Amino acid sequence: MEGKLVIPGELVTDKRMRLGPHVFVENGKIYSDAVGLAKIDRGIARVVPLQGKYMPKAGDVVIGIVVSEEYSYYIIDINSFYYSFVPKEEIRIPLRKGTIVSAKIVKVDEINAATLSDIRVFRGGEVLTISPVKVPRVIGKNASMLNLLKRGTGCSLMVGMNGRIWAKGGNIELLKKALAKIERESHLSNLTLRIQKMLEKEKQHTRR
Amino acid sequence: MEEIVYVNAEGRRIDGRKLDELRPIKIIPSVLSRAEGSAYIEWGQNKALVGVFGPREAIPQHIQDPTKAIVNYVYRMATFSVPDRKSPKPGRREIEISKVSGEALAKAIFVERFPNTTIDIYVHIFDSNAGTRCAALTAASVALADAGIPMRDLVSACAVGRAAGHIMLDLCKEEEDATDAVDMPLAIMPRTKEVVLLQMDGIISKEEWKEAFELGLKGCQQVYEIQKKALKRKYEEIAEEEAKAIEHVDKQLKEISENPELLRGGNK
Amino acid sequence: MRDDILWELRSDKVKELIKVSQRLDGRGLFEYRPVQIETGFSKNAHGSCRIRLGETDVIVGVKMDIAEPYPDSPDEGSITVGAELMPMASPVFEPGPPDQNATELARVVDRCIRESKAIDFKKLSIVEGEKAWFVFIDIYIANDAGNLFDASSLAALGALLDTKIPKLEDDKIVKGEYSGKLELSKKPLLTTFAKINGKIVVDPATAEEKAMDARLSIGTTEEALMSAMQKGGTGSFTQAEIEQCIELAFQKSDELRKFFKVG
Repeated sequence: MEGKLVIPGELVTDKRMRLGPHVFVENGKIYSDAVGLAKIDRGIARVVPLQGKYMPKAGDVVIGIVVSEEYSYYIIDINSFYYSFVPKEEIRIPLRKGTIVSAKIVKVDEINAATLSDIRVFRGGEVLTISPVKVPRVIGKNASMLNLLKRGTGCSLMVGMNGRIWAKGGNIELLKKALAKIERESHLSNLTLRIQKMLEKEKQHTRR
Repeated sequence: MEEIVYVNAEGRRIDGRKLDELRPIKIIPSVLSRAEGSAYIEWGQNKALVGVFGPREAIPQHIQDPTKAIVNYVYRMATFSVPDRKSPKPGRREIEISKVSGEALAKAIFVERFPNTTIDIYVHIFDSNAGTRCAALTAASVALADAGIPMRDLVSACAVGRAAGHIMLDLCKEEEDATDAVDMPLAIMPRTKEVVLLQMDGIISKEEWKEAFELGLKGCQQVYEIQKKALKRKYEEIAEEEAKAIEHVDKQLKEISENPELLRGGNK
Repeated sequence: MRDDILWELRSDKVKELIKVSQRLDGRGLFEYRPVQIETGFSKNAHGSCRIRLGETDVIVGVKMDIAEPYPDSPDEGSITVGAELMPMASPVFEPGPPDQNATELARVVDRCIRESKAIDFKKLSIVEGEKAWFVFIDIYIANDAGNLFDASSLAALGALLDTKIPKLEDDKIVKGEYSGKLELSKKPLLTTFAKINGKIVVDPATAEEKAMDARLSIGTTEEALMSAMQKGGTGSFTQAEIEQCIELAFQKSDELRKFFKVG
């Protein structure tokens, strides 16, 4: 069952244990609700989805985009099932449609709507999107991959747990290529080394 | 008029199949970039595309259901998908198929997890030769999994029926036109064999129905195996490697939750 | 979630890059995305074609049917073009009857083919004043990644070149039998331009369509004649820009015609 590829409705385990994300119980057995890898450790059964939307979690820091300004609140898109609503009184700087922000998820209610706090505004830059499932790979151990990307592309970067990345300055095209490579090859070993090679090669090619 | 031999002495049908054989089926997920989940299916001559969106906010507000997501299944046929050109306007048949197909999927999807939203499933048929609603539903199931929408099981569909006195699986158009034809589209959630779609056209006895239904269940199981392969194909080679990577990832996630500064690249 | 907001952000990027003559996907200003063609996509259709232009995905099917000729042209048949922006193609398309965009698309593709005289309507006549062939061309947009006009025009041409004429017996259609292929004397195609920050680009992708001030589609034939022109969007073009587009349209459409082999 370790690392077994499963689809919705497939058995993860028939033993009793605690439930992690993306599994459900039926007749005493545990099944997957998504396409992903079934994992069992430390008494928890879960499935790591190989694709899918961002499921908000309290404590996560995310990158959001202001969708609109209403009379007393802002509507912010955090790449999930619902928009988040932030009362104006909680924000010191006025926000506009299209403003990019980082925010912390304070709580998530029973219908997966997230309450945000600690909103910080980015000036300029753009937003790139990757599958939320790949975020840890983009950051790497001790932020090793992220720092490699920053050095190799010259971009200022911040990664949100919701699969959004704020980037400014530097070689954004190269950054996009590197992110695409990480998404495609996230399962292969020595990913950091290969990204490093790719970034070095590009540097040689572009003599500005 | 020349008499059609629906089943010959060797038990072979008009297209050479045996009574319990499906037509060739090919399913490819993730074919459309703007849709959140998608699939393409070829089932015999049938060709269909499915695009899935959601769960997304249900608009207008008055259609929202505060207890669950609304499954909105829209089945349409292209004008040129049938022998006599069809009007582009949806006909009653398409509307009926949309209803029962949406209801079939609603049982499989964890709709209670997403109140006040809709899950939109758009299906279009581009070529047809009997069994389009089953092909569409089969592909829609794959598209939903492709979109990452949580489900208790896939929905696998298949038609079963009778022609010239023989109970047979997956009737083609010629067989559906037989004088004693019975056509029964059927869809199940394969693990529990719960029936989520059932319709019937024709006249049949209780005993024949049982024989047909049990054959239909076998057909749906075969369809399920094809759906499973289609979803797993993309990941098969990498699954083992990805499993190793996940351990790595877990440690990173723990690091990140303890030190959110890492999202900015830690200390430069 | 509607993806509008991300596109709006990207269109700022598009406008920035265009100032230095660059595009988001690294293409040249007058470069088309890769084209994939699949003909004979639907067996029930008399002719069909599926085109992928970059990630834009369009399927066209042709059905020929017999009907009474229009009173003002009793010795001619005709074509009818319909288009459907399928809701699967974009988070912002909704099911329902054709809206302004679908209608404009259908009519522009129609004019490009009709006015080019690629199909001789007189040859479609069966019995003068009573019966003629009507060629129904139906466009289905499966994925909108930009430039539906050119993708639809390519798919329509591919479907027409694939079209077999149903066999007639006593002026009635014999199902499943055909007598020859539909004749096209030329290959009309649309070439679409977007004007962004004062610069012209060919084959706009979605982010570029969001950023553009205006769009110009020109229908041409291989004889360097134009059979359609359509300006869209709320911006404007200068005469010089239009003339530049005309020259480019002849050139680019000839490149695309190579995809369609003769006969």
